[in-house]
Amino acid sequence: MFSRVGSSFYRTAAWRLALRSTLVFAAGSAAVFFVMYILVARTVRERSDSWLMGESETLKQVALNTPRDALYDRIVEEVAELASQEVSYDGNGGHLAGNTVFFAQIGDVSHPPVWVGPTDSGKFLNAIASMKISQGAPVSLRIAGWPTPFRVVAVDMRPGEGRIYLGLLDSTAAHLLRQLLAWFFLGWVIMVAFGFLITLLGLRRMLKRVDAISGTAASIRPDDLSTRVPAGQQQDEVARLARTLNNMLDRISASVNQLRTLTDSVAHDLKSPITSVRGSLEIALSLEDREQSSDLVAGAIEHLDRLSEVITTSLDLAEADGGALRLRRETVDLSELVNRVAELYAPAFADRHQHLAVKTEPSVQVAADLSLCTRMLSNLMENELRYAGARAAVSVTVAAEEETACITVEDNGPGFSTELLPRVFQRFVKGAQSEGHGLGLAFVSAVAVVHGGRAVARNVPQGGAQITVELPQTAKTGSQPRQTADSLLSSE
Amino acid sequence: MRLLVVEDDNTIREFLTRALAESGFRVDACALGSQAEKLALEGVHDALVVDLTLPDMDGLELIQRLRAQGVSAPVLILSARRSVDERVIGLERGGDDYMTKPFAVAELQARLRALLRRSTPGQAETTKLRVADLEIDLIRREARRSGTEIQLTQQEFALLEYLCRNAGRVVTRAMVLDHVWKMRIDTSTNIVDVHIHRLRNKVDRDVERPLIRTIRGVGYLLRD
Repeated sequence: MFSRVGSSFYRTAAWRLALRSTLVFAAGSAAVFFVMYILVARTVRERSDSWLMGESETLKQVALNTPRDALYDRIVEEVAELASQEVSYDGNGGHLAGNTVFFAQIGDVSHPPVWVGPTDSGKFLNAIASMKISQGAPVSLRIAGWPTPFRVVAVDMRPGEGRIYLGLLDSTAAHLLRQLLAWFFLGWVIMVAFGFLITLLGLRRMLKRVDAISGTAASIRPDDLSTRVPAGQQQDEVARLARTLNNMLDRISASVNQLRTLTDSVAHDLKSPITSVRGSLEIALSLEDREQSSDLVAGAIEHLDRLSEVITTSLDLAEADGGALRLRRETVDLSELVNRVAELYAPAFADRHQHLAVKTEPSVQVAADLSLCTRMLSNLMENELRYAGARAAVSVTVAAEEETACITVEDNGPGFSTELLPRVFQRFVKGAQSEGHGLGLAFVSAVAVVHGGRAVARNVPQGGAQITVELPQTAKTGSQPRQTADSLLSSE
Repeated sequence: MRLLVVEDDNTIREFLTRALAESGFRVDACALGSQAEKLALEGVHDALVVDLTLPDMDGLELIQRLRAQGVSAPVLILSARRSVDERVIGLERGGDDYMTKPFAVAELQARLRALLRRSTPGQAETTKLRVADLEIDLIRREARRSGTEIQLTQQEFALLEYLCRNAGRVVTRAMVLDHVWKMRIDTSTNIVDVHIHRLRNKVDRDVERPLIRTIRGVGYLLRD
């Protein structure tokens, strides 16, 4: 049980990240402590070295100035004793444990060495004899039986009078340094441990949120897209991830809903005409009268034609939504096209006593799919024919504005109902009295969008509907579509 | 005139064979590209009707193979795709044609006739067309019925000219939109009906024998 929990815990990103950052932190802080320790140790040694230098000079002067009589050894020993007491006792006369000083004067072979210091002088004298002399500067000298090395300074007397040695074992400083090292180590361990713990806990808290997000995301099923991952109030990366996921879920859910509407509408739009076609043909089959049965068959064909158009438009819209609608761009003169379409529709407007006015700027060119644009304009015209109302005045304007070509269709009819207006370009959205499939204006908008433009619908203040289609103009739309258009033209 | 129909869908192949046979063509039909290649290489067909999606090869591939082996008969491509892709357009420029499903049989017949006309050049361009007592002068752009001039707008004249050129044959709305208004769009709107209605009001007004007829569900027919 424990090992299972444990091993899965050791595989978490929180554990790995905390471990890694702690290792880096531990190495860095150890280096800092080490440098600090070296600096302190050097300062301590310099202090004892400077005492050694000063004292050795004093002892040399005493040794030189003292006449070489029977009292010579006593006097020098006395002075050395005094000097050693300076460091061996604190200001109040208490003995400082561990601090040890030795003094030795080694002259010619006939004269025995003068010795002040610990009683086992033999070891010291042997060590001194083999030590490397660095004139005037203290060196470290290890003495057998002593835990730490002595600092020893050697000073030459007059020629033939030998050399004096002064050594100091500053146990207080060594003790201090050892303590410092211990405290540093303890501090370092505590710091590293705390650092590791804090990092681990912080990371775990954050990654637990990621876990919660992935858990929720995994639980979302295709048939219920209403669940959202916990986003919280924070503004950090994890919260952003959660919000991004939620936005994505919103879009997916919208697409799925749209798909449901689509399939529902397609089912309705396909099944109704199929039913009526089937019915017509069935009746035609049983009729004796050939003229009547032909009528029914003809009606069935008309139904099928409309059905085919609904399918084509639905598929075009679905492709346009998915960005998969392929455009065959060529240079299209919108003014010319609008005039041509208006001419086609003029008699239909006249039949309904509607007045159609066309105002176009000369030669407004766009790089567009001619067939899609023609169908778009045809849809706009059909829309006016159906909904502007009898005797309405309809105006179609083509204007070039900086980088866009605008086609504006306006009437003085009843306009869009407030309920319809915001959704007028959505698929399957149609007015209450509409007999269409609710695809016409959706197609208009889709064509505008796939060409990099847009369609805008509004009600004009003086009453009536207005639809503006904006398309990017050829001259400013970059070289790619223009080249295609040119190559199409030149190969014709 | 002998045709080769290459279409893998049995229903469509049979109905095509029947429809084209009824309009006077001799029709050979097959479902596979490989069969079609063998048949076409006999060199006896005046035109080919080829579906784009065949079980054993792409329709375009078949056409390219045939062209490479010297088969020059015009090809009418049938496609179930809504927008015909660039490659097909390229073929069309080479003198062939395409149609998207579903299509009207009348339009298929008209396009085949156009293809066959194109491949047998040498027909003199006429300047006058005459159907019964209707006479139109293509140069002066005048139309007369029993000698009386009919006042027509440019659009109406173009429409009447197209109907006269196809006298005795049914033309569909899509064909009218394509040839008269240069718009190749599939539309179920009745906008062409409006124009036909106006034209009929001028051409067939107060006459005993109307020339322009509506074939419901298909299109229009100008006939004596």
